[in-house]
Amino acid sequence: MKDIFTDLYNKVLGFFRQTEKNQEEESTKDVACNRLKFVLMQDRTNLTPELMDRMRKELVELLSRYVEMDKEALELGFEQEGNQMALMLSIPVLRAKDEAEIEATLAKEDEEKAKLEENKEAEPDEASDDTAEVITDADNSIADETDETDTDETEEEISAVSDADETVSKSDAVVTKPVSKTATKTETEDKKVKAVK
Amino acid sequence: MTALVEEKKVEIEKGDVMNGRVIVITSGKGGVGKTTTNANIGTALARAGKKVVMIDTDLGLRNLDLLLGLENRIVYTIVDVVEERCKLKQALVKDKKNPNLCLLAAAQTRDKTAVTQEQLKDICEQLKKDFDFILVDCPAGIEQGFQNAIAGASEAIVVTTPEMSAVRDADRIIGLLEAKEEIKSYKLLVNRVRPNMIKTNDMMSVEDVSEILSTPIIGIIPEDAGIITSTNKGEPIVNDEKSLAGQAYANVARRVMGEDVPFLNLEEDTSVMGKVKKFFSGLLGKEK
Repeated sequence: MKDIFTDLYNKVLGFFRQTEKNQEEESTKDVACNRLKFVLMQDRTNLTPELMDRMRKELVELLSRYVEMDKEALELGFEQEGNQMALMLSIPVLRAKDEAEIEATLAKEDEEKAKLEENKEAEPDEASDDTAEVITDADNSIADETDETDTDETEEEISAVSDADETVSKSDAVVTKPVSKTATKTETEDKKVKAVK
Repeated sequence: MTALVEEKKVEIEKGDVMNGRVIVITSGKGGVGKTTTNANIGTALARAGKKVVMIDTDLGLRNLDLLLGLENRIVYTIVDVVEERCKLKQALVKDKKNPNLCLLAAAQTRDKTAVTQEQLKDICEQLKKDFDFILVDCPAGIEQGFQNAIAGASEAIVVTTPEMSAVRDADRIIGLLEAKEEIKSYKLLVNRVRPNMIKTNDMMSVEDVSEILSTPIIGIIPEDAGIITSTNKGEPIVNDEKSLAGQAYANVARRVMGEDVPFLNLEEDTSVMGKVKKFFSGLLGKEK
């Protein structure tokens, strides 16, 4: 008899707890709506998570010239407004750079770029040594195949890449660019390259 | 040739050459109620005096005949028409009750490749002359069967339910319909709606679904046990005027015909039992 009462008591208590919980938590309907919106955006755009990540990285690179931001908290995604799809980018800005600073970074970039081109033209051997070393570390398959005679060829390829890319900012970028060009590279390998350098 | 021209002349003189609307009923996901919707809208349109033909394009998995109770009357199918074993008119099965309603059945023993898009388009064009409405029942999926079904259509009704998988599939279908120039308009029919679950936020509302798919609604059909019993009998639920789902389907048909009909209030139980319940609860309320 006592058991029945405790059981009943627990059930009643459980019922109230459950209703309280429901009010606090997101309703299953909202969960469904949010999950659906997300999955439909993916279905509709055909952009893979890898490509989205790349877009995000490139945007960070570009925008950091003008603002100092919280790179970790940056949000990028598609949103739907009526029939229109919108790419929403939310950037928590830590500090906006002032004009002088921006000018300075841009000038520095231009300088680096000019220097780079000069280097290529004036002392191609030195540059090739520098980059070839990194490549050997980053990609073993290339390292296995490349003899000393082949390195010149590889270097030509790399400089072509940095030529085409206007966003090359620091001397680091010259090194990391050819690495990120090989699509299969993972982030850890990227870091390794930096460490080696 | 001359005979043909003469025939046409006579028809024009009579003024009864029609220009029917071809509406495809599709969903992507299976089991959301395409065929039920087809049978009910078709029956409702015919009851309203329109000449209606329904084409079942689900070759190999036909069911529209069952829902209409016509399974024993089928002699020729759409494949017989295409392969010229009979004339188109011979293959049309008339409904038991309503002479305005016809069915062109699918072949049960053949697969989707037995009919091509051009052939279906051609059949639709021919039927347009004699009917107000040509309703095409589309198979599930987005493959050839779907492409065939939408080939001759200029309008579409996308059937979905307030469930994630059905909505996702409907979105795919809408994308494909949008890409097809011939489809001039498409609307959403939300089937198997449970007002009680929506009330407690345990089911997406019709507004949610419409917003997510950014598509206008043409009908809201409540979940109704009567659908099963009406299928058992081979008689569309729209013939039962007391049924809420039947009323909802009748309203869809009126909207198809261009009428502006408000959506039913599904939360209020309008059945006889509901009214009795309401009466008693009213009494009890007063006593308190």
